[in-house]
Amino acid sequence: MTGTARYTGDTSKPGLLHAALAVSPHAHARMLSIDTSAARSVPGVRAVITGEDFPVLTGSPLEDRPPLALEKVRYFGEPVAVVVADAEYIAEMAALQVRVEYETLPLVQSPLEAYKPGAPLIHERLAEYKHYEEVYPEPGTNVASRNRIRKGNMEEGWSRSVHTIEVRVSMPQSDHAAMEPRCSTAELLPDGKAVIHSASQSPYIIRSQINRYFHIPLQQIIVHTPLVGGGFGGKAAVQLEFLAFLASRAVGGKAVKLVNSRERDMVSSPVHIGLESRVKLGCTADGKIAAAEITHWFDGGAYSDRGPIMSKAGASDCSGPYRIDNLQCDSLCMYTNHPYSTSFRGFGHPELTFAIERAMDVMAARLSMDPLEFRFLNAIGPGDTTPTQTLLDRSTVGNLPMCIAKLKDMIRWDEQPLIEAKGHFVKARGVCCMWKNSNTPADAGAGAVIIFNADGSVNLLCGAVEIGQGTRTSLTQMVAELLRMDVHKVSISTDVNTETEPQLWKTVASRSTFLVGNAIRAAAHDAIVQLKNTAARVLQLPSAELEIGGGRVYSMRDPGIGIEITKIALGYKLPEGGTIGSQVIGRGSYAMRDIKELDPMTGKGKPGPEWTVGAQMVEVELDTRDYSYRILQAATVIDAGKVINPVFARGQITGGMSMGLGLASREAFAFNDEAQVLNPQFRTYHMLRYGEQPAYFVDFVETPNAEAPFGLRGIGEHGIIGMPAALANALSAATGIALNRLPLTPERIWRTAHDTL
Amino acid sequence: MIPFDFEYYRPSSVKEAADAYQALQAQGKQPMYWSGGTEIITMARLNEDRPGAVVDLKAIPECNVIEFRENDLIIGGCVTLSAVTGSNFFPLLGRAAQGVADQTSRNKITLGGNLCGRIYYREAVLPLLVADSRLVIAGKGGVREAAIHEVFRGQIRLEPGEFLLQTVTDREFVSLPSVHVKKRQIGNVGYPLVTLVAVKKGSRIRAAFSGICGFPFRSASIEQVLNTPGLSAEERARQAAGRLPAPPLTNTEGTADYRLFLFKQTIKDAIHALEGR
Repeated sequence: MTGTARYTGDTSKPGLLHAALAVSPHAHARMLSIDTSAARSVPGVRAVITGEDFPVLTGSPLEDRPPLALEKVRYFGEPVAVVVADAEYIAEMAALQVRVEYETLPLVQSPLEAYKPGAPLIHERLAEYKHYEEVYPEPGTNVASRNRIRKGNMEEGWSRSVHTIEVRVSMPQSDHAAMEPRCSTAELLPDGKAVIHSASQSPYIIRSQINRYFHIPLQQIIVHTPLVGGGFGGKAAVQLEFLAFLASRAVGGKAVKLVNSRERDMVSSPVHIGLESRVKLGCTADGKIAAAEITHWFDGGAYSDRGPIMSKAGASDCSGPYRIDNLQCDSLCMYTNHPYSTSFRGFGHPELTFAIERAMDVMAARLSMDPLEFRFLNAIGPGDTTPTQTLLDRSTVGNLPMCIAKLKDMIRWDEQPLIEAKGHFVKARGVCCMWKNSNTPADAGAGAVIIFNADGSVNLLCGAVEIGQGTRTSLTQMVAELLRMDVHKVSISTDVNTETEPQLWKTVASRSTFLVGNAIRAAAHDAIVQLKNTAARVLQLPSAELEIGGGRVYSMRDPGIGIEITKIALGYKLPEGGTIGSQVIGRGSYAMRDIKELDPMTGKGKPGPEWTVGAQMVEVELDTRDYSYRILQAATVIDAGKVINPVFARGQITGGMSMGLGLASREAFAFNDEAQVLNPQFRTYHMLRYGEQPAYFVDFVETPNAEAPFGLRGIGEHGIIGMPAALANALSAATGIALNRLPLTPERIWRTAHDTL
Repeated sequence: MIPFDFEYYRPSSVKEAADAYQALQAQGKQPMYWSGGTEIITMARLNEDRPGAVVDLKAIPECNVIEFRENDLIIGGCVTLSAVTGSNFFPLLGRAAQGVADQTSRNKITLGGNLCGRIYYREAVLPLLVADSRLVIAGKGGVREAAIHEVFRGQIRLEPGEFLLQTVTDREFVSLPSVHVKKRQIGNVGYPLVTLVAVKKGSRIRAAFSGICGFPFRSASIEQVLNTPGLSAEERARQAAGRLPAPPLTNTEGTADYRLFLFKQTIKDAIHALEGR
C-alpha cells in the first residue's frame, strides 16, 4: 500500500465545474411541477437540468429509464434535476433549492406484491419501450422480463419422487458498497469530441451508449477509466455518465464533474438485486433428484437495467450444479418501488444458489443423508444436460465431485459432527455447491495489442479495467508466458483509454482473463510470427525451424544460432544499410463462439462457453442465549481450470467469501412503509469488518476448459456465490429451525425461533 | 461535502468561548460549540444542522485535562474517547467509550461531544451516571458545578450558551466491581440494541442503560428491583423490564421486542457477574 492510487474523483483541473443531484424523497409519485428558479438564483450556479431537457428513455436491454425522472418518480432517491455550479458545495446547496410538487402514488414494496393481480403499475407504457438482447416484458403487469425453463417430463418426475419438499426464501436488496463512490466527468470539445472520465467497469459501453443517445460518432467519444476502487458489478451500469454529459452540454461543453456522496451511491445509483423464490424438489428413495419446480421473483426495483439478464441467469442455472432431468422454472424480473438494480458479483447466482441450496439441505435432512454425500450423489457431470439442455462434457462442466472430495478432506468433514454443543454454545457447519455460467451476450469480445520496444520489452494494450482484482497484472503474466520472456519486461498502464486500447465488452462476469486472454493469445501468436519472419531472413533459416525465448529467436536444432530480439524488435538494420522487417506489433481479437439465446418458452440454448463449479463450507458458533454468532471458518474448493496467479486467485476467492458472508449475515436496505431507505450510510448499513473475519481456506481443482487460454475458467466472482446458502445451512443446523430469509441477523434468528415456537 | 459556509472560532479560554458564543448568538448566527466535530459534520453534510458559526472548544486548556486531583478524577470535555480508554484511569468508562463507533471515529469523538450530542445513545454517560459524577459547566456567568443527575436527564440540559467543561468523578468509583455489556444488531461496531453499565457499591447494584429506550438513563425504580433480596435473577429481569422509563425503541438496528429480550438477558448476566463479588 503506497497511497499513490488516484481515482476519477481525485483529479481536478482549472475551470472544472461541479454538478450535484436533486433527488426524490418519494418512492412513487407523480411530479406535478418542478421549480428550479430558486436554485438558478444561487450565486455560482451555471445551469439546472430537469427531465424535460432530455426526455429520452435509456437502458440495456430494456429502455425504460429516463436519466432524470419524467412525469413521475419510481424510487426513493431518484434523480430529478442536476445543478451545475462553480463549486461542489454551491451545486449541492442549490440542488436543495429545487422545488418539486409531488402527488404520491400507491407503492409496490416487494416482487411478490408486484406480481399480484391488481398491483399498482410502475411502468404504464411498458408495451412502448424499445428493447435489445433477450428480454421478455409483460405489458399491463410489473413483469420486466420472464424466462422459462421446460425440461423433461414433470409428471414423470413427480411420480418417481418418493420425497418432496418445498422451500421459500428471500434475499433483500443491498448495496455494492465499493470503497470508491461512483464519479464521472464530461467535457465536450469544440472539435466535436466528447471526453468522459468515469469510475466504470464498462468504458466501451459508455461510448456506445453516448453514441446511441447523443448521436456523437464513436471515434469522437473518448472514455478514460483510471484505477477503479472496487466495482462488484455496480459500476457496469451507465448512469452518472449521461448526467455528466448533459451537465457539460448545458454549460457549453465545459468540463463538469459529478461525484456521488456515499448516500447517493447507495440509493440513487443502482443496487444489488433482491429475490423471493419458491423451490419444490422431488427425490427418489435412493436420493436422486427426480423433479424440481422453481419460481424466482427478482426485486429489480424501479428500472430494469441488467435485471432481466440476471433473472435469465436465475433460470439458466436454476438447478444448481445437479443433474435434474425433469425441471421447470419461471424466473421473473419484477418492477418494484425500490432502488433500481444492476449487475452484482455473481450475477444472479448467489441468489439462485441460496434458493436451491437451502432446498438441497432440507431434502438431505428429509432423507437423513449427509448433506455433502447427497450433493455428491446428484453432482452434474459430462453427459448430463443443463437446465438450458446444453449437453456437457468435461471441458464445459469441470469436475464437481472432485471439488466436493477435496473440500471434505480440507475441512476434515468426516472427523467432526455436523453439530456440536458446548454449554450454551453450538458449533455447526453448513455446506453448499455452486456453479456459474457467464450469461454474456453472444457477441461479447475483446482485442489486444502487444507493441515491441527497441530493448525487447513490450507494452500491452487492452480494455480490461483494473478494479482491484489484478486482471491487468494477470494479463501481463500471460503475455510473458506466451512470449517466453521475463514478466518485468511486459508493461501495462493502469488506465483504460478507449481511444488507444482495443475494445473489451465489459470488465464483468469473470470474463476478462477469458476474453482478453484469448485476444492476447492471438496477439502473441501474431507477434511471434513477425519476429520469426524477420529472424528467418536475418539468419537465413526457415521460420518454421525457429523458436522464441529468453530474449532471443533461435534455431530449434542448434539453439546457439539465433538473434537477440533487441536487434529485430524495430526491424533489423543491415550493416551495409537497409532494414529487414519493421516494428513488431502483435494484434489479436476474440469474440464469444457458439452462445445460443435461450428459447423464451423452454429455455433451450447455451448461455456461455463454460461453467465454473465449486463446493463451499461455513462453520459458525452460535450463542443460544441471544442468537448472536461468530463465523469461525469459511472454505472453498473451486475448479479454476488453470490458476494463472495463485496469490490473486486466492485473494479473489477469499474476497468473494468475505463479501458473501457480509451479504448473508447483515447487508440489507431497511425500508419504511413509504419505501424510503432508512440506512443509506455505513453507520447503520452494516458490513463485515476487520476483526470479524473467519479463517479462510481455499483450494483449487484444475480441469482445463478447451476454449480458454491456458484452460482457465472464470473465478473472479465465485467465492461469494455459495456463502449465503452455506451460512444459512450452518445456522439452520445450529438452531434446528429453517432459516430462509436474509440477512441472518441474531434478531432474525431469534424471531424465526420465536415464531416457530 | 457541507453545502453551506459557516464561521469558525477557536477561543483559548472559557471566557472567550462564552463571549464568542453570546456575540454570535446576538448576530443571529445560531452558533454551535464544536468539540470533536464528528456529529456536526455528519448532520451538516445532510443539511440537518446548519450552524452559521462554530466555536471550537479544543484550545481551552481545562477541556483537555485528564488527571486525578486528590480524590477526584477530572476529565475535560474535549478529551477523545480513545484517550479516555487509553488512560485507563476509569476502566469502566474506558470500556463504555470503546464501545462507541469505531477506532478512527473515537480518535475524534470526545467525551463532551458524546454526552451532549444529538445522536441519542450517548453511551459514555452511563459510567458517570452510576458513579454519581459531577459536571463542570461553563457559560457567560463563569463556571458552575452540578450533580450529573440534575443536568443530565436523558440528554444534557444546559442553559443557552453553556457548555460542558469537565466531568468530575469520585476516586472510589473507578475501581468498583463493574460490568459493561453492549449488544448490537450484529458485529463489533454499531449502535447499541442494549448497553448496560453496572457497578456494585457496598452490597447494592447500580445500573444505567442505553439503546433500550431512545435515551440513556439510570432508574431508581429498576435499581430497587435489581436489589430486591429473595428474587431470582430471572424475576428481577422480568420486573425491571416492566419499569422502563419509556417504551423500548424500534429503529433500523432492531425492534422493541428483541431489545426487551436482550435487556432481560443482559440484566440476568449482570446480576450473575456482580452478585457474590
